[in-house]
Amino acid sequence: MQYMLLIHTDEDRMKEVVAKAKGGAPEMMGAYRAYTDAMMQAGVLVAGDALQPSDTATIVRVRDDKTQVLDGPYAEAKEQLGGYYLIEAKDLDTALEWAARCPGAAWGTIEVRPLMVFARTPATA
Amino acid sequence: MQYMLLIIGNADLVAAAKAEDMQALMGAFMAYTKAMQAAGVYVHGNPLKPAPTASTVRLKDGQTRVLDGPYAESREQLGGYFLIEAPDRATALDWAARCPGVPYGAVEVREIEVIPGHNDRAG
Repeated sequence: MQYMLLIHTDEDRMKEVVAKAKGGAPEMMGAYRAYTDAMMQAGVLVAGDALQPSDTATIVRVRDDKTQVLDGPYAEAKEQLGGYYLIEAKDLDTALEWAARCPGAAWGTIEVRPLMVFARTPATA
Repeated sequence: MQYMLLIIGNADLVAAAKAEDMQALMGAFMAYTKAMQAAGVYVHGNPLKPAPTASTVRLKDGQTRVLDGPYAESREQLGGYFLIEAPDRATALDWAARCPGVPYGAVEVREIEVIPGHNDRAG
């Protein structure tokens, strides 16, 4: 089964945590690097990426056949999607264990969602 | 540059849609994916199971807390995503506007953060 770990980040809290950490931003990056390495070693990592901060987001909607483009994320919320991991895990419990180890769990929330499987889903690169 | 197209589904718009439109949606996504692959912009993409299947994990005072459901109670929830390679934001927005999910919510476009040593290993 494939699960998506959606890293919802409180961007203000993350800045505070990074500012307080002895090693600053490199310490956080190191924690993510170690986490990614552990996933690779366990053979569970399919894909993963970090997103640029939510104020760089653009929203596209179509209403009455007109395309509307707006600056900013789709929801004004304290927590915004900061990145994701796509993992292969044997069950939800295993996926939740990986989610709990994610460095971002310390300053945000990890949402775990199973992928929808279709008969002819385009292959994951 | 890589951009993530986050496909946000609005429960009210989905509920108001005709059954045949929803049946056509899967075919439309298939055609859209093929068009992306033909244009060489497709990196990967996946639909997610509905938001009620989500679990959320938080750390509080060093303790892991797991709750059923998505992280936010909202009529708009992430339904899937595409990761694309595009020369600029305008091109990424053009692809977002063509996404079959747009009439049922919105697509949020976000650039990927390039992290040395990460993006060449995963994603």
